[in-house]
Amino acid sequence: MKQAEKYLWIGCTAARSNLAYAGEVIYRSTFIAVILYIFMRLWTVVYAGAGSQRIGGLTRPQMLWYLVITEAILMSTPRVAAEVDDDVRTGRLAVHLIRPLSYVCGHLSRAMGDRVVRFGINLAVGAVIAFILVGPIPMSLPGLAMFLAVLPAAFLLDFLGMFLIGLCAFWLESTSGLVLIYSRAVMMFGGMFLPLEIYPAAMQPALRVLPFASMVSAPGRMFVNPSFRHFGEAIVIQGCAVVVFAIVVAMVQSIALKRLFANGG
Amino acid sequence: MWRSVLDYLHLAVAYMRINIRAQLEYRGAFFSQIAAMFINDGVWVVFWMFFFTRFPVLHGWNLKDVLSLWAITTAGYGLAYGVMGNAHRRLAPAIVQGELDLWLLHPRAVLPHLLLGSTIPSAWGDALFGYVVYLGFIRPDAARAMMFVALSVVVAVVFVGLGVMTGSLSFYVGNASTLSDQWRDTSITFATYPPTLFEGKVKLLLFTLIPAGFISYLPVEALRSLSIANLFVAFTGALAVLAAGVAMFYHGLRRYESGNLISING
Repeated sequence: MKQAEKYLWIGCTAARSNLAYAGEVIYRSTFIAVILYIFMRLWTVVYAGAGSQRIGGLTRPQMLWYLVITEAILMSTPRVAAEVDDDVRTGRLAVHLIRPLSYVCGHLSRAMGDRVVRFGINLAVGAVIAFILVGPIPMSLPGLAMFLAVLPAAFLLDFLGMFLIGLCAFWLESTSGLVLIYSRAVMMFGGMFLPLEIYPAAMQPALRVLPFASMVSAPGRMFVNPSFRHFGEAIVIQGCAVVVFAIVVAMVQSIALKRLFANGG
Repeated sequence: MWRSVLDYLHLAVAYMRINIRAQLEYRGAFFSQIAAMFINDGVWVVFWMFFFTRFPVLHGWNLKDVLSLWAITTAGYGLAYGVMGNAHRRLAPAIVQGELDLWLLHPRAVLPHLLLGSTIPSAWGDALFGYVVYLGFIRPDAARAMMFVALSVVVAVVFVGLGVMTGSLSFYVGNASTLSDQWRDTSITFATYPPTLFEGKVKLLLFTLIPAGFISYLPVEALRSLSIANLFVAFTGALAVLAAGVAMFYHGLRRYESGNLISING
């Protein structure tokens, strides 16, 4: 219990320090307005051309709100890989390892505290813009509960992916390229701009079981058009992906730490 | 005048050689950043491929047009910030932190030295991507290929002008790093979507405050129509953006306060 309190405190501190710069975070998140405006125009043209009320099972307002959620998720990504990379390169990792804290859990707590605040602010800014551009969408309490259930696992999965990339600093000169490729894979295969239903039919089954969809598309879908069938699928895939990612992180970390050389000074 | 232009071209070549050599000290990181940016741009093209597979025409624009849009934007961006890396994200913080002292000591004009002082490794990935996509996927005839090369230089001029303009905000409003990034990123974001999506006042904005029109819309129109008149308009627009940036920089420089920093450009 004491252990959990320790990590909770780290998370709360990270969240508080982000709130101290809320103005800066809000200012940065205004870029979401540009994205939403462009996509509102894009989908307006597409819906008008298609002559249909629904595309990929979503109406035009639902499509924009889907984008609010997926953008808010992507724009709130903490700099986990860069921090781990920095720890490895500067040798600060050795200092972290002698603390009475798990290195992974310490980073996880910080990243979650950071992300919750950033996601909340991005969501608030995005919601205001979407409300102005297309108005509200029908929502339900069970739908909201499903969204809130899949969101933490989405954040956790993303954290593990980024942490894994950060650990690659033990072998690579720079991990910034990997971070870029990973973030684009999350955007593309996670269904950030296009809901998975719009992709070619042959690709959809593969995309659904990839972890990227659990990070982005699942929360977006639960928010705008929830269903118990999709919720069940999302929870199972998220659960499996978290277990697999956690095992890989543990294995890579144990191999990486054998390569650690610390010099006093 | 031509002698002066040639002198500055030689200076640019010398800086490029030094900057690339410096990057090659960490060649693994350098090449991985180029490859990552190439893949990053490729992901966007794949997005548009999926999009046009489902919705074949978008207000008269098809996949080929959007590929041209991406090719010209990335090629111009890559050339601009590959050669003049300090026009990217470095200018605004350098002004605030009083780091211009080093560049003010050079015997020639400040701005060229400052801009040429570094390279952005990933920008070379953008440049490579632009040329590969246009020449490999669009497969243009000789005239269009030549026009693409000319236009990529024109777009690079717009990007440098935009970088100088946004970075120079720090002379006027204090730390403008975030504002500068937002302004440039907004321009790039608008530039990578078909112009037919926008109309009215927004379109006016895209040819003035947010110069996306000069980054991609006019160049793509020039490529589609193979029109020298459009090329001339794109070139004039690029010079106007650059002139606005240079004017803002030198006007702002009068307000610059030294940071009393001792630094070495290595």
